[in-house]
Amino acid sequence: MNAPVILRAENLERRFGGLTAVSGFSFELREGEILGLIGPNGAGKSTTFNLISGFLRPSGGRLFVKGRDVTGASAKTISRLGLVRTFQHDSLLSEMSVVDNILIGTYHQRRAHEKRMEKVREVASMTGLADHLQTTAGNLPHGLQRMLSIAIALAAEPQILCLDEPLTGLQGAEVSTALELFEKLRTTHGLSILLVEHNMRAVMRACDRVIVLNYGRLLAEGPPETVSRDEAVIEAYLGRGR
Amino acid sequence: MWNRLPGVWICVAFAIASVLFALLATNAYYTSLVVWVLTNAVLASALRFVLQIGELNIATAAFFGIGAYTTAITAVLLGWPFWLTLLLAPLVAGALSALFGWVTLRTKGPYFLLVSFAVTEVVRLVYTQTNAIGGNSGLVGMFPPMAIEAYYPALAVALLAATLFALYGVERSDLGRLFKAIENNDAIPRSVGLNVVFLKVLCVVIAGSAVGLAGGLHAYANNVIAPSDFTFFVAILALAYVKIGGEGHALGPVLGAALLTLVGQWVAGISAWENIFYGAVIVVTLLVFPGGLVGLAARARGLVTRSAR
Repeated sequence: MNAPVILRAENLERRFGGLTAVSGFSFELREGEILGLIGPNGAGKSTTFNLISGFLRPSGGRLFVKGRDVTGASAKTISRLGLVRTFQHDSLLSEMSVVDNILIGTYHQRRAHEKRMEKVREVASMTGLADHLQTTAGNLPHGLQRMLSIAIALAAEPQILCLDEPLTGLQGAEVSTALELFEKLRTTHGLSILLVEHNMRAVMRACDRVIVLNYGRLLAEGPPETVSRDEAVIEAYLGRGR
Repeated sequence: MWNRLPGVWICVAFAIASVLFALLATNAYYTSLVVWVLTNAVLASALRFVLQIGELNIATAAFFGIGAYTTAITAVLLGWPFWLTLLLAPLVAGALSALFGWVTLRTKGPYFLLVSFAVTEVVRLVYTQTNAIGGNSGLVGMFPPMAIEAYYPALAVALLAATLFALYGVERSDLGRLFKAIENNDAIPRSVGLNVVFLKVLCVVIAGSAVGLAGGLHAYANNVIAPSDFTFFVAILALAYVKIGGEGHALGPVLGAALLTLVGQWVAGISAWENIFYGAVIVVTLLVFPGGLVGLAARARGLVTRSAR
């Protein structure tokens, strides 16, 4: 793949007191690519997400979005450059209606209310929420709640979408629908997607490339089929055989 | 749900009736009582306005006082024209709210509550220690110009009612939706490129300007102000109005303020029991109908529509 790099991390590092959560972590996301970020619990995936989205400041290293150095920039700056993230937990506005949830994603730009609503309807139909616009988000079935958190991010019109475990708790058919959406976002909207996910089968199916994080460090990198056979990766997930 | 449009028109009619009452009533006690009810309604509504972003702002009392002192200082000590002294009250209170919010809104919940409490008491102590503005005894002699004096209660009621409608307007706007989103889960607006701290400061500034204007109007209505008028207890009473009226709708604090202010006129005669009375009313309200008066009304409506089916 030779598409231009849209997101680059160089030796990213984050320490919490004496604990180093992420260290010397470098990776690249290319335009139109779906990149999987996997690793065992506590490997530093969430910290990485917080670092690249500006929710946390790195203790070291550099971060570039669309070639611009955004090391230490605010979440607002990074989001307005086109990198929008979702959340693993508390990923929506549970007390507000679906339409109000998606509307929140449109306020980064000044525009007429009718234009905003157009965007809301477009995003809602893409994510299967068109028939639930007036429902209170907290009352949606789990699968639609996951889709709503993606819808909010899409309303912000990102070029880079960072999804934090978007498939958690989804049933078989829902997983397929979600993966089809990711594929569609990539092909018809030209989005680049960074996907943190525990569902290995889904990662193998959806991703062009996978990076594996363990103890805050890059463990392996490559196409899904290579990574899934990597000795070090298997060991990190399953432990050493005796 | 509230049927919105007729509801607003009923409120407009009520506001016009209050202005007319303040204009036509000849008994000064009643006209000043209407002004006082609406002043409390603005205090309670401003407190609820900041509750939208999930923060209990005790400094509502401080900015009420800052508005009153701004008007009193510029009117009595500097002799500036009436309209200018009135205009400065919300401007100064709003500007200081911005400074206050920018410094303090990085904290949340109980921390913000304590800081806002401390600020209120510090501001009050500054009044008491500053002899140039009357120290403990405050300032006396804010009178509206002769030409306006007869109409002043009506003017105050009109401006206070307009303030209430303005707060409601913001609540119904895009900005109000953003405030609610911040209260619900501030990580979401942050993740889609919004400056959450700025929005929170803006919320506090709007509420601060509203009570600032109420303070300026209060200075002319009362003709005398003192530091003891602006303790944290003002905010606690406003919270009582909000809780009893109900937090769920903008009408809640207005109804709560009206009810408790009027009842308060009656219990003022029982001196020491006054505060015990307020405390008891709050406890009973929270136990028996936690949604306040508007919650009760909504529930009654629900019962009616259900039995009609």
